[in-house]
Amino acid sequence: MGSVTIAMGGHEEAARASASREPEHPEDAVRSLPAAGSLGRWRPSRAAGLTFLIGLLVTGVLVLTSLAVYNRSERRLLNLRVRELSLVLAATAPSIQTPLASAAELANATGGSAQKFQTFMSPFVGPGRQFSSVSLWPLGTSHLAPSAVLGKTPALASMPERARQFFTHSTRPGVLNLTGFLNPTHPALGFDFSAAGRVHGFAVYAEKPLPANRRSKLEKNSAFSELNYALYLGHSKRTSDVLVTSVKRLPIKGRQASDVVPFGGGVFTVVVSPNSSLGGTFFQSLPWIIAVLGVLMSMVAAVMTDRLARRRVHAEQLAGALDRVASENRRMYTQQRSIAQTLQHALLPDVLPQFAGLQVSARYVSAASGIDVGGDWYDIVDAGDGQLLLLIGDVSGHGLSAATTMASVRHAALAYAAQECRPATVLAKLSNFVGGSAHSYLATVLCALIDVDAHRLVVASAGHLPPLLISGEEGHFVEFEVGVAIGVAARSQYQETTIDVAPDTTFVAFTDGLVERRGEVLDTGLARLRDAATSQKLTLDELVAKLARELTSEDHRDDTAIVGVRWQN
Amino acid sequence: MAELDPDRPGELVIDTELKPAGEILLTLSGELDLSTVGALEATIASITAKDPERLIFDLSGLRFMDSAGIAVLVDTARKLPVQLRDPSPIIRRVVELTGLSDVLPIQS
Repeated sequence: MGSVTIAMGGHEEAARASASREPEHPEDAVRSLPAAGSLGRWRPSRAAGLTFLIGLLVTGVLVLTSLAVYNRSERRLLNLRVRELSLVLAATAPSIQTPLASAAELANATGGSAQKFQTFMSPFVGPGRQFSSVSLWPLGTSHLAPSAVLGKTPALASMPERARQFFTHSTRPGVLNLTGFLNPTHPALGFDFSAAGRVHGFAVYAEKPLPANRRSKLEKNSAFSELNYALYLGHSKRTSDVLVTSVKRLPIKGRQASDVVPFGGGVFTVVVSPNSSLGGTFFQSLPWIIAVLGVLMSMVAAVMTDRLARRRVHAEQLAGALDRVASENRRMYTQQRSIAQTLQHALLPDVLPQFAGLQVSARYVSAASGIDVGGDWYDIVDAGDGQLLLLIGDVSGHGLSAATTMASVRHAALAYAAQECRPATVLAKLSNFVGGSAHSYLATVLCALIDVDAHRLVVASAGHLPPLLISGEEGHFVEFEVGVAIGVAARSQYQETTIDVAPDTTFVAFTDGLVERRGEVLDTGLARLRDAATSQKLTLDELVAKLARELTSEDHRDDTAIVGVRWQN
Repeated sequence: MAELDPDRPGELVIDTELKPAGEILLTLSGELDLSTVGALEATIASITAKDPERLIFDLSGLRFMDSAGIAVLVDTARKLPVQLRDPSPIIRRVVELTGLSDVLPIQS
């Protein structure tokens, strides 16, 4: 007995060993992954390159936009500044015109008194004062010459033709008239004022020296210190007409704005350009800041995209590997299931023996899924003398181990049946065979001795469900004393129950897969079986087929064996 | 790892409680079948190492038990006294119909 147990254990070990070999292939599949950690030479992924390009593009657009905004605001500010400058310049005209106009009025009133003129004008003339030279010119004479001179000799006095031209044609009475002496040696600006409405009045003429090189920088704290400028006489922007400028070389280059400054009767033209950003250095450097930040962020985004892309590739590879593992598992699972099924079906009788006066039919339904091929079996043995022995059993557990255990229990039962036809004895011997030692399986076995001619049944059960007897439209389960299942304890005793049956009686033995449902008392399943078996008159084959079809649910987890026997009269 | 939930199909929760007088109470909830029986076997193996006087299986929360589950209970009953407490009618009927009422006595 002990050796048998060891043999069974051996089967289980073999099953375990085969199970422990399973993971080898999956591991191989995982190992065959390209090692994602060692990248070797780093090469950016396409997505990373694309991200970088897009980043650069966006940065470029932002830089251009901010440049455009900056330029527009600079232009606007520059236009404002040149307008302001022009207004400030224009506002200085009265400070020049007023003393000249007053002197002209005085000259007219005093008949051109040189003394009064000099007395009046002396505070305005001299080094560091407003004018370098002031002179009084009587108009309407054929020979134009100053009648009084204060300060330097006016440049105009040495140019009679120009003086004549100036006073007779270029000037207008009542307004401040301008003329420039822009030769490089002693450049000066001349101002003229004569009172309006007098034909032979006096003109007051003043000169203001210009810097020899025309350069005059604005003071640092001046309101216009951020501007380069050039002031031209008249509407001209020619370098030869420049009065004063802050730059070394004319014309002014770059961004610039100009305005015409009305000054008395004449005009100046002022041209300015910024020597620094008018809107502040931040706005000037904003496009650069955007450019640098944009490039940096593009690089960061590219690196992150690259990482994500790599992770995805890795995940895809991993998924692929898992797929291979899964399909390998499926293959092995199918293989193992098919091994177990093959084994089990090989163990079931191919052809049931035929008996005169008795029909026999059997079905085996495998569990819907899993390698959990059950340990169900059945046998019908000719016991001689018109008797046959029916055995049906169920070894607990599933799979190869259950199938092999079933095989040994079944063959032992067949051997005992060959020696002894009493069902109780067969079961008792089986219980001794399996014993009560340490193993974790049970076998429920039903053993029925069928006497065909005597219409008699002798039944014994080792923990097995009661068989169904159908007579006409009536069906009932055999009531008997259930013994313990095989494997609970050695030397178990079993009770036989003898039943006399009517002609045409059908006897259906089955395993629990036919009636057992989760969440349901067994009696409910038994009643369902009885109702299905008695609902209509069928041939035995039809009946067994119907039960196998209708009572094994789609998700049945257990195998099911059904054996039917019908007396033909 | 998700928490075991005895209400989910196909799961078994085992609760072990040491009682005075050498008893150990094993409360089983969920389903005891071929797929969950391994956990019970492992638990029982560690318990029997403590050499208790008796094992009591509280089956009030057990909804289903198949022959593999019964086999483990019977195997345990071979080693030390076992009692079933409060089995549902479903479980009770399984024990009765397999002729195991004596091997796996139900506590009254």
